[in-house]
Amino acid sequence: MKKRYWRCFVCNDVHYGVAPPEVCPTCQVVNAYIEITAEEARKFLGGGPDITFTPVDFRQAVERFTAGNEFVVNPDQEKVETLLQGIFENEKNHGFKYCPCRLFTKNWEEDLKLVCPCNFKIHETYRGVENGECWCGLFVRRR
Amino acid sequence: MARLLMFHGRECPHCKKMMPIVERLEQETGLRFEKHEIWHDEKNQDLMRSFQPVIAPKCGGQLRVPTFLNVDTNDAICGEVDSDKLKAWAEKK
Repeated sequence: MKKRYWRCFVCNDVHYGVAPPEVCPTCQVVNAYIEITAEEARKFLGGGPDITFTPVDFRQAVERFTAGNEFVVNPDQEKVETLLQGIFENEKNHGFKYCPCRLFTKNWEEDLKLVCPCNFKIHETYRGVENGECWCGLFVRRR
Repeated sequence: MARLLMFHGRECPHCKKMMPIVERLEQETGLRFEKHEIWHDEKNQDLMRSFQPVIAPKCGGQLRVPTFLNVDTNDAICGEVDSDKLKAWAEKK
């Protein structure tokens, strides 16, 4: 199923997926999404508020992401610091928070799979592995 | 002697861990790895991409680092490996 872009006509929330959310998570309006082009989505996303999302913010975001999940952020602080530095360097230099332990291919669809957090649960370093971790080691299986 | 390449990333913890292992192996055996940092050097990125058909099938379908490539045998391994395993791989004809 092909993913498409959707925009809430009330608050301009942008959603990328097969179908839009029934309720807008930002303004709570029901059935508010209309399909838009990728170009229009980029304009809305680029024209949003100038929010500085720091490595500290990202660290907090991934901590929240792991809450209640079967994985946690790696307790090795030095490793995490190195990875966060790489993730933000990659965003600055290449536009996305690419995994510092993989190289983007210039194939857009393939490269979306490298944006942190990636879908590491399907990787051989995690799936079915007792002490599994994502390829870079930012996330490790909860013990 | 085979042409051996090591692709690594400056902010990749696995690469940081492998670097002294590789350097020690070089000192002990005379093996030489051409080291290419891939996140801050566009030429090195292109070089690694040029070997995608060789590397990807051995590395989960992706261009992962660290990756060790033997250009002569078209063989690659990626990730953290111990010194003995890397030596055996590098000396494989």
